[in-house]
Amino acid sequence: MSAPAVPPNELKPAMQDAADLAVDFLKPWGAVQQVREGRLDLEVPAEQLPGVARMLADHSWGYLSAITGLDLTQDGKADSAEESAAPAGSDAPTPPRFRILYHFCRGATVLTVKVSAGGEHPTVPSISAIMPAAILQERELAEVFGMHVTDIPARGRLLLSEDWPENLFPLRKRNTPGQIRERISTPSVSPAAAALPEKAGRFVVPIGPQHPALKEPAHFELEVDGEIVKDVSLRLGYVHRGIEKAAENRTWIHNLYLVERICGICSHIHATAYALGVEQLAGVTAPPRAHAIRVLFAEMERIHSHLLWLGVAAHQAGFDTLFMFSWRDRETIMDLLEEVSGNRVNYSVNVLGGVKYDIDAPRSDAIRRGIDSLERRSRHYLDIVTADESFQRRTRGVGVFPTEQADALGVVGPTARASGVRRDLRVDAPYSAYKDFAVTPVVDQGCDLAARFVVRIKELFESCRLVRAILDALPAGDLRAEVPRRIPEGEVISRVEAPRGELFYYVRSTGGPMPDRVKVRTPSLANWAYVLSVAIGLKLADIPMVVVGIDPCFSCNDRMFTVRRPGGAAP
Amino acid sequence: MSAQIPQTLKGILDRIALWSRINSPWLVHFNSGSCNGCDIEILATLAPRWDLERLGVKLWGSPRHADVLVCTGPVTRQSRDRLFRTYEQMPSPKFVVAVGSCGITGGAFHGCYNIVGDIGDVIPVNVYVPGCPPRPEAIIDGVVQLLTQLKTGARPPEAAI
Repeated sequence: MSAPAVPPNELKPAMQDAADLAVDFLKPWGAVQQVREGRLDLEVPAEQLPGVARMLADHSWGYLSAITGLDLTQDGKADSAEESAAPAGSDAPTPPRFRILYHFCRGATVLTVKVSAGGEHPTVPSISAIMPAAILQERELAEVFGMHVTDIPARGRLLLSEDWPENLFPLRKRNTPGQIRERISTPSVSPAAAALPEKAGRFVVPIGPQHPALKEPAHFELEVDGEIVKDVSLRLGYVHRGIEKAAENRTWIHNLYLVERICGICSHIHATAYALGVEQLAGVTAPPRAHAIRVLFAEMERIHSHLLWLGVAAHQAGFDTLFMFSWRDRETIMDLLEEVSGNRVNYSVNVLGGVKYDIDAPRSDAIRRGIDSLERRSRHYLDIVTADESFQRRTRGVGVFPTEQADALGVVGPTARASGVRRDLRVDAPYSAYKDFAVTPVVDQGCDLAARFVVRIKELFESCRLVRAILDALPAGDLRAEVPRRIPEGEVISRVEAPRGELFYYVRSTGGPMPDRVKVRTPSLANWAYVLSVAIGLKLADIPMVVVGIDPCFSCNDRMFTVRRPGGAAP
Repeated sequence: MSAQIPQTLKGILDRIALWSRINSPWLVHFNSGSCNGCDIEILATLAPRWDLERLGVKLWGSPRHADVLVCTGPVTRQSRDRLFRTYEQMPSPKFVVAVGSCGITGGAFHGCYNIVGDIGDVIPVNVYVPGCPPRPEAIIDGVVQLLTQLKTGARPPEAAI
């Protein structure tokens, strides 16, 4: 990584500044178009992509947030003129034409660099040498779209099983889920995945996919020398279900319930991101009361998620007493969620155009009482994690992730904020009711595991304050606005701050009853870079703590995949 | 070994084993593609509010020591083999509780390309607990139903793969 020209924390918050800056230094590549406030588009030929990425990295203009592949085969009209010269095989279907969108984010501004690619196996250059965060998503692109991404260390399967057919790319439009299942009907018996290369004298500790330390399946291989970790290999994808494809075959309303089930911990925020995106596409604005209730639930979900994390993290440190205490207190917030929505986990608060549930006075009082008691308990937890000596020994100075590195790798959420990176979408790009209810981001310069505990617990206080503020000033009015059944043609990016960090949705409509593409980039995917870059050199016993430090959510990021060996192009 | 034990003694030993199994079943948990909702509710079941351990139930890390496999989620292609192997590693007699709607029909993920089926397609299931996700009380009820099955002597079906 080149040294950042501008210190990351002095980024100008104003959206227009970011836009002007990008327009200015990207001039050599063409005109950057401002499609709407906070959205910049730039179309470049594939071979110029690394140049653009280099320019963005050199100016430290934001971070790579997501890479979206699009298959435009079924579009009525070809919307990029250059490559439309499909071989004129009279009746044969035209070969898939792809577009790849690289979304770079800086504060509230998203710069989308568009690359068009034609042919059966289009070639696109890798930008992973410039932006290591790209590697995961480029490999996904190669696997699910059949793109040939040059210069990435490709080895083995990532997202799909080992016996997946060579020429079957699930996200291509021609392949419907039914056809895909027919072609892969032989159930897989997979060999052990992602093994570190054999070498004499190495001792490899395999962990998972089923392991007491893992609540969700993942497969780690840690090469150790005594107690010290020398190399890491990670195979995820055990929870890959194919949700992005499924979303293309369900109606706009069905999808609300599908995306809610991408993750059982942060279900509400997924549905919120999706609903906000679809509402923007449809040109509908939810009533203010609906927005306030959405944010209220989002903050209650953050409280439940952080308490859950605190327990699991304490358990990994061998501190089961704290695990039991925090899970006992977590039931307070679960009761409140259930009282309002009727369900403990998938509350299903959102509908397109608003929310289902109202908050009346008795519920409001119940929430206040619950929040008050949780706040008291949280102060106790903050005392424990900052004062307990044996706990400090497990966390202080462990897994240090310097600010510059965290900024450059594009980590998000509490993981970034505990490394001193002020990155919080609720502040940078206020969405929904955050425009009315301001948030103070919790940032800690500690950069180590202890800081991750402190940041998350302090965020509990902030969430409690927000919940009270919303209850005090809940706008009156309707709960929902009408949304048409067919969503007008268009595309939208919806970014929200999930408990684990920035959640990125790209939704594209061709005017039909179902979305053309729903792309999800979850915070855990962005945060794995942290684990992989700090793991080497740590003691084996610290690895579970470091992994849990990002609050990983496999079910979220496995709707994609991940595999990574930091041995090669280490971040 | 068992051939040398007289029939009467074997009967007594079996009864003791069954008694201890009913009073302290050990659980192993496997997630074969779940969204996490059920897994968290299973953990919540073990947390102080419901405290499943007061019934002698213990969540244990190794399938080799476990009596009951608690599964969540639809079965993805990658995890199918792992689920089967985890089941195979458990000593007989072994029992399976499938938690959540996905484990019964695939739930919200029914029809996704990377799903090979529900849990019953891969291993024999004794008790299904429906819900998305089931409440902790329902999960406890599922386990209790299994224990009742054991008490009344109903045997689980054999593995048929």
